[in-house]
Amino acid sequence: MDAISVAKTLHPLEVRILLAYEPGSEIDGEILRSQLHFREGQENQTFSWLLAKGLIEEQGRTQSLFFELTALGREYADKGIPERRIFNFISKKGAARLPELAQELGLDQKTVGSAFGILSKEGALGMNEEKKASLLPGAVFPERMEKLGALIARALAADGILEEACLDAESLELVKSVAKKRGAQDAPFRVAERERVVYRLSQATAEQRQILKSLGVTGEELGALTPAMLESGAWKKGSFRPYNIGVTPARTIPGRKNPYVEFLESVKDKLVSLGFEEFDGNMVETEFWNSDALFMPQFHSARDIHDVYSIEKPSMAKFIEEPHLSKVAAAHENGGDTGSRGWNYHFDRDFTRRLILRSQGTVLSARQLPTAKVPGKYFGIVRCFRYDKVDATHLSDFYQTEGIVLGEDVNLRTLLGFLEMFAVEVAGAKEVKYVPGYFPFTEPSVEVHIKHPVLGWFELGGSGIFRPEVTKSLGIDVPVLAWGLGIDRMALMALGLNDLRELFSPDLESVRLRRALQ
Amino acid sequence: MPKIEVNESLFFKLLGKKMDAASLEAILPNAKAELDAWDDSSTDIDERTIKIELNDTNRPDLWSTAGLARQLRVRETGEVPSYPFFVPLGESRKTTYTVIVDESVRKVRPYLAGFVARGPAISDAMLKDFIQTQEKLTWNYGRKRRSVSIGLYRPSIIAWPVHFRGADPDKESFVPLQETRNMTLRQILAEHPKGKEYGFILQDEAVHPLLLDDKDRVLSYPPIINSADLGAVLVGDQDLFIEVTGTEYPSVSLTASILACDLADMGFNIENVEVQYPYDTPFGRRVVFPGYFQPEMSAGIEETKKLLGMDMSTEEARQAAQRMGSRTRIEGDRIVIKPAEYRNDFLHPVDLIEDILMGMGMDKFPPEKPHDFTIGRLSPMEELSRKAKLSFVGMGYQEMIYNYLGGRREYIDKMGIEPGSVVKISNPMSESFEYLRNSPLPGLLGTESVSSKAPYPHRIFEIGKVALFDEAENYGIATRQYAGFLSSHAQADYNETASHAATLLFYLGKEYAVREAQDCRFIPGRQAELLLAGKRVGIFGEIHPAVLEAFGITMPCAGGEIDLDLLLN
Repeated sequence: MDAISVAKTLHPLEVRILLAYEPGSEIDGEILRSQLHFREGQENQTFSWLLAKGLIEEQGRTQSLFFELTALGREYADKGIPERRIFNFISKKGAARLPELAQELGLDQKTVGSAFGILSKEGALGMNEEKKASLLPGAVFPERMEKLGALIARALAADGILEEACLDAESLELVKSVAKKRGAQDAPFRVAERERVVYRLSQATAEQRQILKSLGVTGEELGALTPAMLESGAWKKGSFRPYNIGVTPARTIPGRKNPYVEFLESVKDKLVSLGFEEFDGNMVETEFWNSDALFMPQFHSARDIHDVYSIEKPSMAKFIEEPHLSKVAAAHENGGDTGSRGWNYHFDRDFTRRLILRSQGTVLSARQLPTAKVPGKYFGIVRCFRYDKVDATHLSDFYQTEGIVLGEDVNLRTLLGFLEMFAVEVAGAKEVKYVPGYFPFTEPSVEVHIKHPVLGWFELGGSGIFRPEVTKSLGIDVPVLAWGLGIDRMALMALGLNDLRELFSPDLESVRLRRALQ
Repeated sequence: MPKIEVNESLFFKLLGKKMDAASLEAILPNAKAELDAWDDSSTDIDERTIKIELNDTNRPDLWSTAGLARQLRVRETGEVPSYPFFVPLGESRKTTYTVIVDESVRKVRPYLAGFVARGPAISDAMLKDFIQTQEKLTWNYGRKRRSVSIGLYRPSIIAWPVHFRGADPDKESFVPLQETRNMTLRQILAEHPKGKEYGFILQDEAVHPLLLDDKDRVLSYPPIINSADLGAVLVGDQDLFIEVTGTEYPSVSLTASILACDLADMGFNIENVEVQYPYDTPFGRRVVFPGYFQPEMSAGIEETKKLLGMDMSTEEARQAAQRMGSRTRIEGDRIVIKPAEYRNDFLHPVDLIEDILMGMGMDKFPPEKPHDFTIGRLSPMEELSRKAKLSFVGMGYQEMIYNYLGGRREYIDKMGIEPGSVVKISNPMSESFEYLRNSPLPGLLGTESVSSKAPYPHRIFEIGKVALFDEAENYGIATRQYAGFLSSHAQADYNETASHAATLLFYLGKEYAVREAQDCRFIPGRQAELLLAGKRVGIFGEIHPAVLEAFGITMPCAGGEIDLDLLLN
């Protein structure tokens, strides 16, 4: 950093030092407190800033003792030292037993004992034949104790501190005799050590002084803008101290949408913009709507007990809506009026009422058919449930994106047209490839593979034209395109994840720090 | 979707040419197949296999080396192979071999088809391939052997005719494959690996099926296991007797047809077997196999053009249909086909139209932009949910999203609620996914239990589905959209969460009242029900410390849940 930039980052406290002292001057905390009125603590912080900038260097350090009044010491300052109080008591009220003194003066017996010891040693008190402490003839209060009282008073006046350097030999000996380093709560003084560090202003401060003067910085610039400044207009009389904008800002924890939900919403918005209307439905469904209405035969291997979750209680729907039940059953058994041969087996009208967790979004498409508009376009992004072992690529519940298009317009080529639209608009694909697919409920069926800018080639989805066994049984006479998109891989990529379980992570911090869509 | 492994040299021999991976990948869509993996040159040339995934579960003929090669070959050349050994349904033919079915199997496994194949010595690759085909056909198409199972034998050591009859599982016994001791049928089901695997098919039956030769020696115990004496086929065998039994005659017959065509393609001569029944079957009482039973299918050129969105001549459509293996002709403006012997997947004219599409190739159909105009819109619930979300985000809440399936511990025990109030799955995969949630709160509390290191305050919410019992519903269970919210920090309390609930409802434009609630998930006296026109739509309050303790949470939490469906109506 050049000198001017350094000057701009100086704190007002630093500025005041640089302007007050010539290069080469020696300063220490005491000097700053007394001459520049720094508050306790400010000097050390300022020294560390100046050191970091190379504007001062350490010159030397000296150790000194100081004595700090303890809580007991302050009590003595207030009420007098125990010796003084005992002496006064006996002077006024006559001889007394030590426990009596302790009680009367609110002192503990140990303190009274040792104070009596000192006073008798000094020839002020003695113990008479009644075992009472009494004044000896001609006794005066000992001078040495008088001095101790004075030192306590002096310490109180000096913020509770007596510096070693400020005491004469006698006072020092006296204070040391009643001061303790540890366990000082039963002594009037605590002894502590202080280090005095002397710094010298480096030659670089000459240039800084120069720059500060030329910039007109005084160290008296305004800090935070306060309501009071605005009310009084005081801000007009000064200038604002510039802040260091290089400092890392503090963290804000905002309210936020979940990035995965945001991704799903963005896909919904895309589909709405393409003219699709959203549908939704029950998580608990019947075998009828989940599979039978989609012309999947009841003996189909994908309908085994271990392929869908069934509900314990209630286990059956009360009924299946007519005429759908009869028409679907006929389509399965012999094709009914759908132009099909049917699957040629006995359709189980009890099994079809069995309650399960919907295993595919196509359920909603089937459910929508009887009331759908023609032409009509519908979609849903809904939770589906699969009998899968949960791992990085399988979840027991997850979202499927599915939809239908109804209209005379629907044929294989417009189906490809829709797939192209999804590939480009929803997935941002650059290249699209179509291959024949297979789904039990569509004919013809097409899979769409796309070349994604990041993921490369992958299968974006499947689609097809609903078999007439599906549509005619539900009262629809126009062709219906059914499609499904696999968007989870794109979601993982958009969120920088590689494990499907992470999409539903309960960990707050990882969700908070997850970026939204790029 | 079945995956098969084909022997590379056998496959190319049957295909009639060799190909590299790129050109094979390019033609596999003609069979709705995908290249999965290919052994590299470090594997011995005769051992090298290609792994292929087949997507069409209605085309079991493609699940073998010969069948896949045939489809690709016919698609390219347009030449339909001839299998003269097929006997049309209803026609009789004098056969060397006969199987006599007894009335006693009618209830348990009524149908049988079979044929004899004579030809080159069976190679290791052919035997492997045949066993794989057998597995795929019986597992996927035959529903784990329930509706179709297959047995292979050496016809020369069998005393003909063969008999298919019922047996008492506790009385009859034989030595099964992979065993040396004589076992009763019951013992086989209990102790033999195949018995344990497939025993479920027969366990409730009083009479079990048994296939025996004329000397009453057991050939096999369908659909479980062959006998070790007469039911073993080895590399080098030249003759095979193949039988298929099952519960559904078209599937049984088609399986025999597929196997016969595969063997014919590999150079075997196929000889017919007559099956005689004492009862009526869909194919009659005396049926000769391999048999051609598939009805014709037809599609009009106009409906074809309409469904495919493309102009084409009837002749073009016919040629395309033929490239998928069927025999074709034109009748007026209709394309009529006799399905290939090994196919039975034409239920509706649309199936033929898809064959026409496949025969022409998807690349002949350029995508076309749809013309119909429709108005897109989000559902009213999505609109409402997004409004609610905006309020929560504005109040500093982080949105979360959770799985809806969970375990008893989180959904019930830790919440301290009645087990009967949560929808239970009767066939769970694991204890961790046994219930369908009835509230978003367990998810939110789950977050608190794992996020104590995340800087506080925590304010989280989720808008998602829950399932509630509701007798008025046809299903007895209703799906509802709930908003759940939770604030967790040292000062989190009733007042804060009440204030947030008030703010949310204010901006959703709802006038509400509160009423004291008694919900054990919250602290008594510090919880309130939200009422909209007197109807309860939600609850909020301070989460009960017993719940927090159960979740291992040591920070106060306050929050609630609101039924958005009730707000919408």
